[in-house]
Amino acid sequence: MDFTFSEDQLLFQESVRDFLVNEVTPEKIRESWESETGRSPELWAQLAELGLTGITVPEALGGLGMSALDFVLLAQECGYVALPEPLVHTALVAVPLLTDIGGELAAQWLPKIASGEARVVVGLSQNLLVEDAHTADLILLQQGDDIHALTPGQFNLRHNESVDPSRKLYAVEATASNIVCSDVAVITACLNRGALGNAAQALGLAQRMVDLAVQYTSERNQFGKPIGSFQAVKHHMANVAVQLEYAKAPVHRAAYAVANDLNSASENVSHAKVVACEAANLAAKNCIQVHGAMGYTWEVDLHIFMKKAWALANSWGDAGFHKNRINDFILRADTPLGAGNTFLN
Amino acid sequence: MKLSFSAEDEQFRGEIATWLEQNLCGEFEQLRGRGGPGDEHMYPDERKAWERKLAEGGWTCIGWPQEYGGRGASIEQQVVFHEEYARAGGPGRMGHIGEGLTGPTLIAFGSEEQKQRFLPGILAGTEFWCQGYSEPSAGSDLANVKTKAHFDETAGQWLINGQKVWTSNAHESEYCFVIARTDPESVGHKGLGFFLLAMDQPGIDVRPIEQLTGTSEFNEVFFDDAHCSAQDIVGAPGEGWKVAMGLLGFERGVSTLGQQMLFQNELDEIIRVAKLNGAATDPVIRQRIADAHVGLRIMRFNSMRTLSGGGDDGTLQKEAMIYKLYWSTWHRNLGKLAMDVLGPESEVLEAGPYELNRLQSMYLFTRADTIYGGTNQIQRNIIAERALGMPREPRG
Repeated sequence: MDFTFSEDQLLFQESVRDFLVNEVTPEKIRESWESETGRSPELWAQLAELGLTGITVPEALGGLGMSALDFVLLAQECGYVALPEPLVHTALVAVPLLTDIGGELAAQWLPKIASGEARVVVGLSQNLLVEDAHTADLILLQQGDDIHALTPGQFNLRHNESVDPSRKLYAVEATASNIVCSDVAVITACLNRGALGNAAQALGLAQRMVDLAVQYTSERNQFGKPIGSFQAVKHHMANVAVQLEYAKAPVHRAAYAVANDLNSASENVSHAKVVACEAANLAAKNCIQVHGAMGYTWEVDLHIFMKKAWALANSWGDAGFHKNRINDFILRADTPLGAGNTFLN
Repeated sequence: MKLSFSAEDEQFRGEIATWLEQNLCGEFEQLRGRGGPGDEHMYPDERKAWERKLAEGGWTCIGWPQEYGGRGASIEQQVVFHEEYARAGGPGRMGHIGEGLTGPTLIAFGSEEQKQRFLPGILAGTEFWCQGYSEPSAGSDLANVKTKAHFDETAGQWLINGQKVWTSNAHESEYCFVIARTDPESVGHKGLGFFLLAMDQPGIDVRPIEQLTGTSEFNEVFFDDAHCSAQDIVGAPGEGWKVAMGLLGFERGVSTLGQQMLFQNELDEIIRVAKLNGAATDPVIRQRIADAHVGLRIMRFNSMRTLSGGGDDGTLQKEAMIYKLYWSTWHRNLGKLAMDVLGPESEVLEAGPYELNRLQSMYLFTRADTIYGGTNQIQRNIIAERALGMPREPRG
């Protein structure tokens, strides 16, 4: 029994955090909102250079061959900076789906993803819209029970604005058919990884909002004292700290289940998604409140993170979807009751 | 990260499971599932006999070092023990204060003589302990202790005067550890001593407090020239706070897993009732059951994370601050869920005078959870200041 990350995993997290905090500043994010694609080819090239676009690509195909468990801490860091680039989507969703599909398709695309030459995105029916379809060289699109692999020219896009200006969402209409997968288990695993990616990013987003709010309330004075010294303000923040700290272990548990392809993966992921997104939502709510009127302005950076948190809470399955999956597990007639049965997964 | 047990641990699991199956029967059968939260007043004598039975099998104090009579069990083995104990419906442990608090405190801070004298009775399940911290004027302001300890030079012993309150199981205990002021001029956490007192003496008067459940598990304890021999102070006079805080550190840890298994039994009982009376088909109830399940899993995963050494980055310390607030709030919500699952039946008592059923008793008891051992409000202050580093509130 060991619930800890290895030295290597923690060091990797630290170096990626340093890179992202320096490169992906709130100023850069605001600049990206003004650009045409909202994406930075330079930053993507840097991420590829660091091995991050190919982190889950098998070594034989030019990647680092790492697992969801290795990546989960990095996904948290992507959340911490509200990274607009679809790195989490690439590493946790697109690459593993291509790997599961295998064959010629995987051999063709995975090396290009690792090198940063190609961007691949996935659109499952669970999601209303497809993220980052506008810069995709390949879209893996679910239609009914099948996944189609479509390249530009084989689909039409209609842009939809997101509440989070960093998110680029598209309705995708297929104009061709190219079925590459019809395996329900593969599609479920893909959905689980998407939800896990959102859960991990939600942890980072919540942490960032907490950091901003702690800093603000320690500096803002009223009645001659920092407002953070007042219990009414402290208790808002303590409630967030509890939800956030306690959401970490379920997310890591889910990453372990996904990486090891355990039977409990769906239940573990749903658990992680629900609690991490709840923590991020609570962070958003309470951190605005303790910022007072400043929290309601476009100028203060807080909303960059809260809007992404809100958006992520409802993609790759909303709270209702994931709670129902948990209920199906615990309220099923054949689920054995008694500590030691329902408890151990 | 590796979230499974080794073959040795699974063998250990078989050993404890078999022992429980062979011993938690006969006269002890009636104790299955009893004595847990809200039910602590039940079967005290029978549960003490059960402690002696556990001791015969070597199943008390398994986490203590072998040199003090424990098994020196690994964290994994302790987890397995708690899982199997709860799975078998093992009764609430009468000896948990001695095993979980007094023992580890003496092993860490006590003299050799104190260890020799007090540890064997805890190990054997023959001597039980209670905890004398809170006072009428020292609740959330725990360091505002008024109870005094005066060293009587002629008799060569300490005399304790004052009052403790909310003392669980004082009426069932042979000993009490007490923090008292050794320096009458001191205030706050300075000038305190940590004393080990025999309860059976003329200077100690125990008066039960009737709880809103109609039962009595905790007490007021009055000290009127109560005796404490010179060698029964842990640490030096003035070091009592340090010892007391060290002890609070032992309140978390492996015992949390045992608590969570009891919670799981309660939740399972609620699910069973909900399936039986149809509440499980109500979408709102279903969502709340899912929330309860998720919250309990959160506690388990976090305990496992903490126990497997996630403490290097300060999480262990954070965990200790957070756990009390989390579980008490979760448990209070569980009590409410139980009543909502019972619906109109939730109002109807088992029998007069004021005999509650198990879920009603649990519901009422959970109202204490968010208060004892540091109220939720105090916990939030601590989390904000120590875990988040927010500015300190000015204190008088």
